[in-house]
Amino acid sequence: MNEQQRLQLEEKIAGLESVAGAPVILQQLLQMLSQKEDDIRLEKVGEAISRDAAIAAQCLRMANSPLFGTRPVETVNGALMLLGINKLRSLLFGLCMHRSVPADKWVLDPISFWRHSLGCALVSQKIACLIGYPDPEKVYLAGLLHDIGFLVNSILYTAKFRECLDYAIEKKCPLHVAENSVLGFSHEDSGRLLCKRWAISEDLVEAAGCHHRLEALPSAEALVCLVHLSDLLCRVRNLGYGYEEILAVSFARHPAWQSLATHYPALSEVDLVTFTLDLEASTQEIAAFVDSVFAVPQRPATRKN
Amino acid sequence: MLIGTAKEKSPPPADLRADDPAYVAIRDLIYKISGIYHSEQKLYLLVSSCKRRFQATNVATPAQYLDQITKGPNRDPELRLLLNEITIGETYMFRHPAQFDALRDVILPEVMAAKAKIGIKRLRFWSAGCSTGEEPYTLAMFLLEAKEKFLAGWNFDIVATDLNSRSLETACAGVYGEYALRNVNEGMRRKYFKPTPDGNLEAGSLLKSLIRFDRVNLSDDSKMVFLKGIDVIFCCNVLIYFDLASKRRVVQHFYANLTPGGYLFLGHAESLFHVDETFHLVHFPGTAGYLKPFGPPAAGGKL
Repeated sequence: MNEQQRLQLEEKIAGLESVAGAPVILQQLLQMLSQKEDDIRLEKVGEAISRDAAIAAQCLRMANSPLFGTRPVETVNGALMLLGINKLRSLLFGLCMHRSVPADKWVLDPISFWRHSLGCALVSQKIACLIGYPDPEKVYLAGLLHDIGFLVNSILYTAKFRECLDYAIEKKCPLHVAENSVLGFSHEDSGRLLCKRWAISEDLVEAAGCHHRLEALPSAEALVCLVHLSDLLCRVRNLGYGYEEILAVSFARHPAWQSLATHYPALSEVDLVTFTLDLEASTQEIAAFVDSVFAVPQRPATRKN
Repeated sequence: MLIGTAKEKSPPPADLRADDPAYVAIRDLIYKISGIYHSEQKLYLLVSSCKRRFQATNVATPAQYLDQITKGPNRDPELRLLLNEITIGETYMFRHPAQFDALRDVILPEVMAAKAKIGIKRLRFWSAGCSTGEEPYTLAMFLLEAKEKFLAGWNFDIVATDLNSRSLETACAGVYGEYALRNVNEGMRRKYFKPTPDGNLEAGSLLKSLIRFDRVNLSDDSKMVFLKGIDVIFCCNVLIYFDLASKRRVVQHFYANLTPGGYLFLGHAESLFHVDETFHLVHFPGTAGYLKPFGPPAAGGKL
């Protein structure tokens, strides 16, 4: 992406909020939830959620779904306790995404997009826990938000982005390759600018902005490596973008893997065959989670911004 | 060769308890000649196989049967029949389509490019532990379809081996019912099979001509060293009952059997983690395979 393209994109993203963009309440909530779990004050989160009827209703509906036991939950705070921070982040991300993109501007299948983002969040966090990475909660959020730039490209460059998808389907290549070829920049560029605008912490900005090009980082940050590897793991376990992609990855010889293993020796004790097989169960859990939100018609969003 | 995979999940029934020390001796004998090891938890599978042979041979006790397979005049044929009982399996065609996608999209284009450089237009495949033949026939169909597309002008052959001579007879006959053919579409059935009087389908001569069936014991070093120049080996759910030492030995043979750039496919839950360091594990959408890299193997030595 050249300087002129960057400025244009930045300008368009700045105008995005007044057109369709992510509601301020969701930005606030994601900022609250990007802190370490111990620092998050659930009652503050509950307060913010209670200000938005649609988000509050979704939280309650999720908490009362069969995924979360049988005891009826009637308050937002009760729902938050039951859902936990990670599920709440996922739910908010799903809502954020759903509201941000007008129906006629969806290029990717929204369910595939959400499943991939959630899958990446879960896998990143699983690896982080396995290797003893100090902040697995942040890794989860980084995985969840890493492809947010796709939404920007969907809204701002709908027709061109559709061309990118067609190109990727035809060539069976990764979407960022198609974007760079058709648009001249990728969802990493737009994701980085959006996250910067949202004032999310710098390492999350890097995860959204560099997860396909680790070489662009001065030193391959562990967080970005985790997201990069998780993105690949999801794509080899049928949690991609709903099209057939040609992919062959030797994880143990991948620069991101090797960089991570240098700092976290426990990584070399991960049996990747077993690990990827175990993801099958997670895949089903993710599908159930996404379906539980999409299964019934969404209530009309009550925007407060 | 599939070994009672469907049975292993259920707890051992009371009548299959390995309460006679002769079973341990039989277990050790089977391990010595085939590399198949029945752990304490899986000993009941061996008991079940032995009991079927007791009936067929009019033997009353495990000790008598042990005598028969170690000292009796018919010990070799009887051992073979016992091995047949142990290695019974059931599978179906196109069971792992992701493996064939990986072959089509990544593996064969790479292997073909390397071979074309040295003027070779022949590919060799090995179905190691082919059971009743579903896997090699699937491979043959895949290759014949590909010959009309990206494999035009190339020749190929398939070696299909198993330890179980009864399974091999079934494989050679190539007659299959609906269960084995459940993933074979109507067009492929018409193209590659012919109906039999009893309502099954038999593999046509085109399919059969591509496959050479042979009885090979993967633990028999003298036979293993003869299979050379293989591009892709399928050995699905065979090594699961081998102990670590036997598994290592077989995998080292596979490494030597493959051409550089060739691949080994195992069953989807099988891993060479802590078994082998020289193959490179490569993930593809929906499956994973083991690549024999170009260049000399890393320290540790190969056969």
